[in-house]
Amino acid sequence: MSYLGRGRCGLTVMITLNSVTKKFGSLTAVDNISYTIEKGEYFALLGPNGAGKTTIVRMLLDFIKPTAGSISIDGIPVSNPESRRDVGYLAEHHRIPSYLSGFEYLMRHAALIGLSGNDAAMEVDRVLELVSMKGMEKKKSAVYSKGMQQRIGIGAAILGRPKLLILDEPVTGLDPIGIRDERKIIETLRDKEVTVILNSHLLSEVEKTCETAAIMHKGKILVKDSIDSILKNGETLEDVFITLIDRSQTENE
Amino acid sequence: MRHKSFYVLLGISILLILMIRGCYDSEYMVNGKALDGIEVLWYVSGIVFQFIAAGMFLMAAMLSMRIFSRDHADGSLVLFLSRSVFRWQYVFGRVIGTWALCLVFMFILHATIFLIIWTKTGAVISGYLTASLICSINLLFIIACVCLLSLFMPDFISVIFTMGILFVGFISDGGYQIINSEMVRSAAPNVVNSDPALWRILYPKVFMVQAYAGSVISKSEFNNMGPFHPVLNLSFFILLLMTLMLIRFNQKEL
Repeated sequence: MSYLGRGRCGLTVMITLNSVTKKFGSLTAVDNISYTIEKGEYFALLGPNGAGKTTIVRMLLDFIKPTAGSISIDGIPVSNPESRRDVGYLAEHHRIPSYLSGFEYLMRHAALIGLSGNDAAMEVDRVLELVSMKGMEKKKSAVYSKGMQQRIGIGAAILGRPKLLILDEPVTGLDPIGIRDERKIIETLRDKEVTVILNSHLLSEVEKTCETAAIMHKGKILVKDSIDSILKNGETLEDVFITLIDRSQTENE
Repeated sequence: MRHKSFYVLLGISILLILMIRGCYDSEYMVNGKALDGIEVLWYVSGIVFQFIAAGMFLMAAMLSMRIFSRDHADGSLVLFLSRSVFRWQYVFGRVIGTWALCLVFMFILHATIFLIIWTKTGAVISGYLTASLICSINLLFIIACVCLLSLFMPDFISVIFTMGILFVGFISDGGYQIINSEMVRSAAPNVVNSDPALWRILYPKVFMVQAYAGSVISKSEFNNMGPFHPVLNLSFFILLLMTLMLIRFNQKEL
């Protein structure tokens, strides 16, 4: 891989974490982590509660600053909002303001990514079709079910055809059909070379969707590799996950 | 603007203002002599002007106190800051947007009084609307103060604190104005016209801006306190508050 310098042209790396540490007082949430995520990669961030996954996501979006180290998206430091120009994000506890309809919410996102008028309306229309929310878009979000809110949230994340999609627990509250539909949406992005970071507890979905994964525990990366390499001898991702976490907990004790 | 309650409040306020127009139809007698109706009208209009401004101060403070916490709670903060939006753009947008809303609200109410006077008497108080715009700087100060304090303390306490700052200013500047007024000096010539203390000169001059606006309406002389014009004084404080707010918000973990 050749490094052609800063900026968007020529880089094959989408995300770089370089010796990143985050401390909240005496608690080390992320402990000296370094890795890269290639463009077009579908990457899963796995770990038990409190492992540091959401902390990494929040640092990627500059919601919190790392205590040490640096993070960049497509060569741009995350402290620069330009790094989020082509980023779509679905929050773990995604909320839509109750006074907005799905359409209005998506139009706000469209305005924030620089779309206006007919362009915005057409893009919102395309996304509503994709997330199967046509016909419900004019109703206030207060009447939406959890699944509908998630669909609109995913719609907002994929609005404007982002190059990087960050999905933090995207299947929370979805029924199996909703989970399947969401997987289909993510799959449609594969041939568009979109990089996807998936933070999820649903390991079966991760196995079906992602090709690489990092398993974290207590702020440290236990393993980062392709899922095929992680799984051995017919093991499932859940088996490997539990084994690694148990071993890490034993070593820490 | 998204809440119906805003329009309900505006409608009720305009209705209350319209009810005052009855004052302009009455004949006023003092000691058996009829007062000049036009003079009474001008006097009442000046008082109503200040009452509207005072009401708007409270409204501006109440609107501002939950700007950031409400955005955090309903997901708007993530909506904005997960995109390529600088934090200063978000902060400025919220503060200036709230200020514009309050300014328009206050201006509509003041313009209603202006129109009542014009339709009832044919007289145009030329400085009335200009004075309304001058008062809007007080609204910006209050909004900036409440928003900054809400980053450090509970929302309602930030309103109480801001009202406390205003109250001290009103007592200090108002008291100074009264003591140095012609009426008091002629009634009590032995009262010493002392220069105000430094803290009074440097204190946020919300009351003095109101007094200046009043002088624009009545076309009377404005007695300033200290070398700095109150509008300049408040502009400095607004700049300071906004700078501190941006620094604090930039450090805030979301």
